[in-house]
Amino acid sequence: MDPRRLADVATPGKLGDYLSSLPKLPATHHAGPATTVRTTVHDGHRIVVSTRYEITVDGLPIGAHLGVHPNGQVHCHALPAYQFLSALAAVRALIDNYPEEFPADLAGPGGGGHGGGHDGGQVHGDGHGGGRHEHGGD
Amino acid sequence: MAARSMATATVVADTSTEVTEMAVVRKNVLKDTAACQAFISGVKLLKAEDSTFSTTDFGIAGPPAKVRTYDLFVIWHILAMRTAVPPGGDPDIRNAAHLGPIFLPWHRMMLSLMEANLQRVLGDPAFGLPYWDWTDDTGHGDPTDSDLWKPSRMGGSGPAPFGGTVTDGPFAFDEADPGTFRVRITANSTLNMIRTSRGLRRALGVDVSTVPSKADVDALFDVRSPSGDPALATYDFEPWDGSSIGFRNRLEGFIPFGLHNLVHVFVGRDMGLASSPNDPVFYLHHCNVDRIWERWMDHNGRNYLPDQSAPAILRGHRLKDPIVSPLGSAATPETVLDPTSLYTYDQLS
Ligand SMILES: [Cu+2]
Repeated sequence: MDPRRLADVATPGKLGDYLSSLPKLPATHHAGPATTVRTTVHDGHRIVVSTRYEITVDGLPIGAHLGVHPNGQVHCHALPAYQFLSALAAVRALIDNYPEEFPADLAGPGGGGHGGGHDGGQVHGDGHGGGRHEHGGD
Repeated sequence: MAARSMATATVVADTSTEVTEMAVVRKNVLKDTAACQAFISGVKLLKAEDSTFSTTDFGIAGPPAKVRTYDLFVIWHILAMRTAVPPGGDPDIRNAAHLGPIFLPWHRMMLSLMEANLQRVLGDPAFGLPYWDWTDDTGHGDPTDSDLWKPSRMGGSGPAPFGGTVTDGPFAFDEADPGTFRVRITANSTLNMIRTSRGLRRALGVDVSTVPSKADVDALFDVRSPSGDPALATYDFEPWDGSSIGFRNRLEGFIPFGLHNLVHVFVGRDMGLASSPNDPVFYLHHCNVDRIWERWMDHNGRNYLPDQSAPAILRGHRLKDPIVSPLGSAATPETVLDPTSLYTYDQLS
């Protein structure tokens, strides 16, 4: 890297000009659940697994999309560094991390302030395809 | 471009730049008090500095509000994370900064730009971004008790037991103080950029209880079978995403879950979101990730994969592809592979 060139573009003006000139990404409005399609071939047989989560919290559908990595772990783009054993763990983490989107007045008794749901196992270290029983569309 | 708001109470960016002729040295934040204090001062200055841009310049909904220089980097990270590679694909499978080979070059580029801004506001061209070697915090007691989280350094967690707004240290929130450290731009759970006005949130050790150990990092350099993994001597592999074997994905922390990703989750809350650069610890953490990449190149040579023979759907991740950065075609994985004209580390392992 050329230090002079770097210093030249590092100014707030240049960085801001650059970022504001990037094509504006369309607002994401997740109308419905996303579908993850995993395909592979085993012993010559073509496998297609489509997974679709239909999730509500306090009776309302959530906007965040959940998907499944090829190794079977559940992921959520709103929590990019996380991997989950199950969709339930992912939704618990969404509630913890986006409190403004899950208002306390919609929570039942014992909720609305981290009353429950912290039973561990939100994140785990190695994949073994956990959470499969929760998939809606396998 | 939309009109920019002009500065009133805040300081307008002085864009005169001094270029240092010598590479700076990046040091351990827990061993170099001066570097730590300079980092804190610089972050606060960038957080107060009016970039002269407004939220509407970046398509953020709501009435226009001035964007601080520090927050430009938050915007950059969110935009890169939302940019799928290939276009039209799923950014949660591969994006312009994560889940693929570009992960390390993109963050190197971002850190260098932050370092240059810190040098500018500190008036110190010799300032080097410090790194947080999280492995120092393992093997003796609880990593949440690390000196890093003391009020004199990064401050601590939110209230026990589940974390929340940081209440001590230089980034504590005080609603009554107009100069308080305030999170102003973040993303909602559908990854749209939104305005907010609140304190920094952390949940140290809540979602995972520890950070990676020295053994976890050393394992990246054990490439002898059967104890080690020979694939770690290669930078990356097909399909160039979160399911790849090889060094990059192991360090990024998707397979197995660990290293870079584990540290984001350990700190928690703001550090776990697409807007993770809102927590200044992001820079100390990524500086350490970059240091581990340097150590890897020290062992394996300055090489990178894939090259231009990889299919065009990987555009943005190949050796000579431009990084999503203001340097345009001047910054590619190839041109950032050797950073020694800009900085070196005091220690690689
Ligand atoms: Cu990142």
